[in-house]
Amino acid sequence: MSSGALVPTWTGVVVSGLLAGVALVVVVRARIGLAGEVAVAVVRAAVQLVAVGALLRLLFVHTGLPGSLGWVTAMVLIAGRVAGRRGRGVPRSYAVATAGVAVGVAATVGVLVGAGIIASEPRVVVPVGGMVVSTAMQGAALTLLRLADEVRSGRRQVEARLALGRSGAAAFAPHVRAALRTALTPAIDNTKVVGLISLPGAMTGLILAGVPPLTAIRYQIVVMYMLLGAVSLSAAVTAALARRTLFDDAERLRELVPDQPVARSRKLRTASR
Amino acid sequence: MPRPIFTLADVTVTRGPDTQHVHPLLGVGLEVRPGRCTGLVGPSGAGKTTLLRLLNRMEEPAAGRVCFHDRPLADYDVRELRRRVGLVQQVPVLLAETVAAELRIGRPRLSDEAVADLLDRVGLPPAFAGRGSASLSGGEGQRVCLARALAVEPVVLLLDEPTSALDAVAAAAVERIVAELVGAGLTVVLVSHDLRQAGRLADDLVVVVAGAVVAAGPAAAVFAEPGHAAAAAYLQGVS
Repeated sequence: MSSGALVPTWTGVVVSGLLAGVALVVVVRARIGLAGEVAVAVVRAAVQLVAVGALLRLLFVHTGLPGSLGWVTAMVLIAGRVAGRRGRGVPRSYAVATAGVAVGVAATVGVLVGAGIIASEPRVVVPVGGMVVSTAMQGAALTLLRLADEVRSGRRQVEARLALGRSGAAAFAPHVRAALRTALTPAIDNTKVVGLISLPGAMTGLILAGVPPLTAIRYQIVVMYMLLGAVSLSAAVTAALARRTLFDDAERLRELVPDQPVARSRKLRTASR
Repeated sequence: MPRPIFTLADVTVTRGPDTQHVHPLLGVGLEVRPGRCTGLVGPSGAGKTTLLRLLNRMEEPAAGRVCFHDRPLADYDVRELRRRVGLVQQVPVLLAETVAAELRIGRPRLSDEAVADLLDRVGLPPAFAGRGSASLSGGEGQRVCLARALAVEPVVLLLDEPTSALDAVAAAAVERIVAELVGAGLTVVLVSHDLRQAGRLADDLVVVVAGAVVAAGPAAAVFAEPGHAAAAAYLQGVS
């Protein structure tokens, strides 16, 4: 039935490079000054993927589950940095985002592995962990982004509630709800349309690897539920922790902290480029 | 003379990054007497609002002491304190769908009769209870904010330029309500940049210039004899 290999050979990879060559020809002929970038992108993609492949092989073969969990932990820390930056102004936003992502990831992956729904093997934990981390990161980032906006635009409302003797938690609740709505909407929409306007990665990969579609979708259903759980937990924990750092002991909404020096120097660099 | 309801001694407030345009308060001392209207006046950015916000702990002093009934503010549960010391902001800030829901934010179990009573105290008919908050004019909104603050039965009402966002007619109506509340025995602390308004409403006057109290005392006495060059300059410059 099939006339080619299930997975391309190295020769196949080299031949597919001709297609990247087409891109190069197009940009050179169109004189849009992108030839250099295309060349760099083509080489970078290959180098990065070879490196990741080698690293994953190392993890799977030599370090086993502990190494994989270390890998997932590193992803969580990176995701916390990225999401934390979105909440600039929120006190301790990096710690808050990292904790949110960590809880979302630990709970969902923990349940799936603990209940034996997915295998506790490195070749499962690492890619599934990656999916969960990136989704949880989006949840934490959107939550912080919106909360910081809410503090900027909603201070009067919060203070009006505080002045009536409400607690910080009660005074901030409508703003937390707005942030959670923002953070969860993309994940809910993705879950709604899965299979209709997108054939998601896990399922596509399994089908490519020869797994029958009705088996592949079982995996995808688990993935979708897992991502929904992860983003909800991540957003909820991030919002709860951010709310705590945003109010002081006397139930006062703190001022947003000014840009950190790191962020400022980045901006300068971008401007001078 | 009754004991002051608020006593401030050597209060210093340093400024946060968002409020650089406002003067810090430097070693401010002040007494607020019960059952009277104390007017805080001075040029904009002088620190009047900061001073007001110290009284319900929306602002914390870096140094010095703020006492309520002779006890440091920090001795009180902050939520209980804020229920006893109400605040109405400069711009009406409406939070709920309807006026009745607005009045119940600080006191969820308020009866319909109590809602009608509160509306009456701010000169609004009982039918306003069902009005949507979004449909109110600025003056109506500010009166609802006053009623909302009164709903928690405060012993002091802090007013931060309550009429500055209103037209003349609405401002006059709010002023009348404030005068009635003071007449009924409520202690009011009023921030105003309108010296004539302060003259009409305030029993005691506190002049704040560049983060310092430069004159304080019974309003008539302060107007007659400011006693401090900066106070005199301000009072003459505006009137």
